[in-house]
Amino acid sequence: MRRDFLKLCSLAGLGFSLPVQSARTSAEPYAGPFYVVFNASGGWDTTYLMDPKGVNGINRLYQEDAILEHGPFKVAPTEGRFEQGMSNENFFKRYEKELLVLNGLDYSINNHTPCMRYMATGKLDSLVYPTFAALVASCKGSDCPLAFLTFGNYSNSGNLVPMSRVPYLPSLKLLANADGVHGNPKAPYNDAFVNDRIDQALREQLDLRLSADLLPRTERAQNMLFGAQISSKALKRVAPFIPDRVPKGRLEQQAEIALAAFRAGVAVSANLNIGQFDSHANNDRDQMKLIPEFLGGIDYFMRRAEEHGIRDKVVVVIQSEMGRTPHYNQGEGKDHWSIGSIMFMGQGIRGRRMLGATGTKQELIPLNPKTLAVDIEKGIRVRPEHIHRALREHAGIQEHAASKRFPITVDAGSELSGLFA
Amino acid sequence: MRLTLLAILLPVFHAAYISAREASDYFTHEVWPKVGERSCLKCHNATGEAEDSRFILVDPYRQPPDMRARAESKNLAAFIRFARMQKKDASLLLQKATGGLDHEGKTVVKPESIDHEILVAWAAHVTDNTPLPKRTDTYEPPSFFQNVDMLSDQRLLRRITLSLGARLPTPAETKRVDKNGLGGVMTALDHLMEEDSFYARLSEGFQDILLTDGQDQVPERIFGYRNFGNTRMWHQGVDFEHIEDSSTRQKAKYKLIDDYRESILREPYELIEYIVRNNRPFTEIVTADYLLVSPYTAKGYGLFDDIKDQFKNPEDHLEFVVAKLPQLNKRDGKPDQVTPTGLFPHAGMLTTFHYLDRYPTTDTNRNRLRVRKFYEHFLGVDILALAPRVTDAAATDTAYDNPVMQAPDCVVCHRLVDPVAGLFQDYQETNSDFGPYGPLKEGWFKDVFPPGFEGQTLPEEERWRALQWLGERTVEDPRFAIAMVEHVYYFLTGRRPLVAPEDINDPTFNARRRAFRAQRQVIEQVAQSFRDSDHNLKIVFKELVRTPFYRADALTTAKYHPQRIAELDDVGVVHLLTPEQLERKITALFERPWTRFSKQMKMLYGGIDYKEVTERLADPSGAMGAIQRIMANEVACKNVPYDFARPPDERRLFPGVEPGMIPGESEETDLALRQGVAHLHRYLLGREDGPHDAEVEQTYQLFCDILHEAHTQKTYPKVDIYFCKAGEQEGPRTEDPLYTVRAWRAVLTYLLRQREFLYE
Repeated sequence: MRRDFLKLCSLAGLGFSLPVQSARTSAEPYAGPFYVVFNASGGWDTTYLMDPKGVNGINRLYQEDAILEHGPFKVAPTEGRFEQGMSNENFFKRYEKELLVLNGLDYSINNHTPCMRYMATGKLDSLVYPTFAALVASCKGSDCPLAFLTFGNYSNSGNLVPMSRVPYLPSLKLLANADGVHGNPKAPYNDAFVNDRIDQALREQLDLRLSADLLPRTERAQNMLFGAQISSKALKRVAPFIPDRVPKGRLEQQAEIALAAFRAGVAVSANLNIGQFDSHANNDRDQMKLIPEFLGGIDYFMRRAEEHGIRDKVVVVIQSEMGRTPHYNQGEGKDHWSIGSIMFMGQGIRGRRMLGATGTKQELIPLNPKTLAVDIEKGIRVRPEHIHRALREHAGIQEHAASKRFPITVDAGSELSGLFA
Repeated sequence: MRLTLLAILLPVFHAAYISAREASDYFTHEVWPKVGERSCLKCHNATGEAEDSRFILVDPYRQPPDMRARAESKNLAAFIRFARMQKKDASLLLQKATGGLDHEGKTVVKPESIDHEILVAWAAHVTDNTPLPKRTDTYEPPSFFQNVDMLSDQRLLRRITLSLGARLPTPAETKRVDKNGLGGVMTALDHLMEEDSFYARLSEGFQDILLTDGQDQVPERIFGYRNFGNTRMWHQGVDFEHIEDSSTRQKAKYKLIDDYRESILREPYELIEYIVRNNRPFTEIVTADYLLVSPYTAKGYGLFDDIKDQFKNPEDHLEFVVAKLPQLNKRDGKPDQVTPTGLFPHAGMLTTFHYLDRYPTTDTNRNRLRVRKFYEHFLGVDILALAPRVTDAAATDTAYDNPVMQAPDCVVCHRLVDPVAGLFQDYQETNSDFGPYGPLKEGWFKDVFPPGFEGQTLPEEERWRALQWLGERTVEDPRFAIAMVEHVYYFLTGRRPLVAPEDINDPTFNARRRAFRAQRQVIEQVAQSFRDSDHNLKIVFKELVRTPFYRADALTTAKYHPQRIAELDDVGVVHLLTPEQLERKITALFERPWTRFSKQMKMLYGGIDYKEVTERLADPSGAMGAIQRIMANEVACKNVPYDFARPPDERRLFPGVEPGMIPGESEETDLALRQGVAHLHRYLLGREDGPHDAEVEQTYQLFCDILHEAHTQKTYPKVDIYFCKAGEQEGPRTEDPLYTVRAWRAVLTYLLRQREFLYE
């Protein structure tokens, strides 16, 4: 009967009411690639980063002749305009060979919630689609205890994989040794054989329960719970990678947690996020504080990934849910703008490329999906679904049952061929 | 009347002539759910935007049950009529749906989409009898709750008392349920809704929804400097000099400010408690012309001297009384707000400074965030849930002088949002420390739709009380009662009610739609009871816990058709307890809390901070699994030796078991041990297992296996570990010569890690 049930569910795309976590424990750490989405929550001003505009009063900090060039990139000058973080100059200099920049991304609307959802999932008109980070975690390592880590941003998991929030670095130590008094592995509550017996009994109980006629929610909960508890044992692998020093920066703290989890093979993906980019008032002041902080956090992550020896295994998406208007409001702020940019780097991504463009009024210039060159006549408006389709292909998960459960469709011929290659 | 009837029936008769059953069947399963209901009904109904058109549909689910078939027939007839009408040699229905013939709703069915294919096939069938494609879904569902087992009355009682009262049922309640069944449960619930713990849970539930604790600033700054600058920091003037010890003095100062802040943050939820506890209409959540103040917050408002006699204990920062603010003055005492009554125009939650501060405004946002939250919280509508795509939003912004009033893509939402935004115009101060009160000097913006609500314009003479005017209209809106029922549903189940499925490509679309409809019907029925009770919120709790959605427990028989599984996908509470709920459950069962749920631990266990993290996690991650293991280890460790150390008649866990009892000693001992396990199942998990049931057998076997393995080892310590001592820190470790205490600890650890303990 169970086998028939599995078959039928599979046919109907209901496989996700079945165990999403088997009991992978310490034997099989996930080895990568690791997916990281850096999100500038609130809407970044791309003209102060990778899509500079020195005309039409679009910004007040520099003119056209001050725009910098690093390889193929045009970059807004920010050196000396902020107190903490990393300048565009240094960021693009350091990552020039790895960066892929796409300007002229059409967010399609300009409200935070739908834009966040759209950018995170590639689907504007659905409340149930998983984020890319959750999807890739479920496809590649749903049995990892912290498969999908999130520190903010839209994080719907589509019921594919539990999302993990671990906002405090020291707490990882406690979690790593759950069977020790106050997290001390040398002071266990139970003899080792007792813990084994308990786990064995829980496993047998799961089998007994699943042989009964459970409601779908009950069955899912039973599986999730067992998977969470058993897989949590693998967290002990994290302990060696938890640094003694907790960095001060917001992204830096998140980076350390994500990297420890990646290095231990207990996580597949992470949403790293900082907010307050929604600069309706004092745009220049806020963006000049936040963009360097954001870039500094990304740089920290990359350098620490190098130290962990996993830099060549990370795939990085750098995004925000919207851009800012090409004009200032009365409060010296900038409001929401539905055209923006996105950046990528990491494993399998050919860098030193800048694709797409916006015009002198920060309007979108269409992109030819075949040549990836700007093409006003035959180009398309690149939207999040195009990006997500390409990301799924890049991750090799486009044919996975989970991806098919949440398909991303684009008009025939509008697929971005070779976006990352 | 005859003509109308003829108009309805003629196409039906004609349809009958061609292939009535087939056309009707396809219409019911494909055309109506995937096209009519989703794309046409919202405008083409008796009160919709297309009310003047000739194509008027009826929502069968809004009709009484005996009228639904008639409504379905009417819809079928309307579709047949319009499918057969031809213009330019093509079906009027198809042309309009795809945006042709100046259809005011533009394109609602995209050419070459699935819904278009369905419509084309069906239209061809009813016009020239073209064979219909095979239906994608041939599943014939049973009645919705057929073969679903419900919680027994006793287990329902336990769920309710633990969930809403943070306690186990009393013996009297248990006895009453034995005698009176569900009636006894309802009586227990009536009593429970008088208890303080119920109101703590109620407040917690509304805090999750309104999120006013997630303020950007320290709570005392919620009282704006503009109007309360002279009084809000009253605590700084309190004289502590009589406390000689400087450390004690400092602690007293800290306590005062902590109490003050706690008092401020509680204020909005005291309003909710006051309404519910006193059986007042819950409409007052947006219409109350008063607020609740404590002695401390009254001082913050500068109101204390006027009302201090109303407090039983003016030093109790958590005693709240009803009060009304006078119209607001500036710090120099001059009027800042002039009202005909001389009073501040309170409108329940809408005018609490907490709510206004939590959802601030800016010069360009113009209160739209507040409107979004207003719709979400009080009408159950997420106006941004499925925002329509704009062809080129940036171009739209630049193509119109004033897009929000001119660009059709923008007007569709702003016509709804901006009038309500205008009703908040007196709270336009963008400096949250200074406001939120602060009308614009130059008056409200002229480049937006004028203040109003759902097509009604705010009369000028009502402007001074605009939010009261809004509150009065809000509670008249049928969506208000439904939204409140949905809030209670969230409290009880930990998740929002289902939303209508959108993806018609999903092979389980019809099943999911049926589930949505079944749940929606119950919510609407409860909303009607709520209205009939003069909006008594307690009625909503009583009605919802009786429904099969709250009581569904298991399947009574194997029904593994995927469509059936999809239908039942959301049925059953099965809700992972929040950290707060889990702590209360531990306290109820063990008479003392776990105490490890610090702020950080709560966040790790899927909790929220009301500000950045506002959605609780519904499924356990590995991190949460680790916390469950920690909790189970610690709670078992602290309570097993402790319980054994008490006299048997005072024990909660082991009333019939002693550490000296070993399996296999005698049949009596084995039975007592099994009964001891069954008792733990009942006490900790709420299961009704007998001593020889399979689950008890498993637990008992665990106990036996551990003892066996321990005893086959050559040596083991004859005392339990230091950390698990029965007594306080001083004193000896617990004697455990037979390893039974540790084996029972393992049993308890095992049980505390189970779904029945960690979920509700």
